[in-house]
Amino acid sequence: MADETSARAAPSRDSKREAMAYFIGVAGWLVPGLGHALLKMWGRAVACFLTVGLLVIVGAGMRGNVFSSRGNDAFDSLGFLADLGTGTFYLVARSLESNGPDVSHAGGDYGTRFLAAAGVLNLLAALHAYEAARGRKA
Amino acid sequence: MTTATAIKLSHLQAMLLFALVISVAFGFLSRRQPIERVKYIAWSLFLFLLIGVGIAWAMAPFSR
Repeated sequence: MADETSARAAPSRDSKREAMAYFIGVAGWLVPGLGHALLKMWGRAVACFLTVGLLVIVGAGMRGNVFSSRGNDAFDSLGFLADLGTGTFYLVARSLESNGPDVSHAGGDYGTRFLAAAGVLNLLAALHAYEAARGRKA
Repeated sequence: MTTATAIKLSHLQAMLLFALVISVAFGFLSRRQPIERVKYIAWSLFLFLLIGVGIAWAMAPFSR
């Protein structure tokens, strides 16, 4: 009897844990470091927030290209996806980039890479938080 | 905002900053103990710089 009850409770607990893991993953994507903060992994949360934030600020400050959804080709769309990986920091990058991108110099080109790297790094961190919430990572 | 035009970095400074920031992020994400993190960050930074300078050196003959 007790075994039956615990067997029925286990899938429910698993689905709840899975839903929580999704929530943590999405939270980590929207605000860099928030996923880890919800898991009380404070060091990782601060590191994610600061590294992604620094890359976005420096990338936009170097007048890198913040791609929009109205891209002309596949590379623009990929760039938009990468930039969107920074979550709400994408809006910060757009607000910082008031003078528009300038990729005629190496600095602007580096800035574009900094912004894309920030997005991909944040996606990696969000995935890490999701896996940690599922109990797969320490 | 004036910050948008304020940051000017040389090639080396941009590479150093990028390597440092990514190494710190990787170190914090992949290691749990502080000493392990420091070792990982130092090793990752070293490899970033070594490979970056190595590729630049290999491409130098084709720059002109």
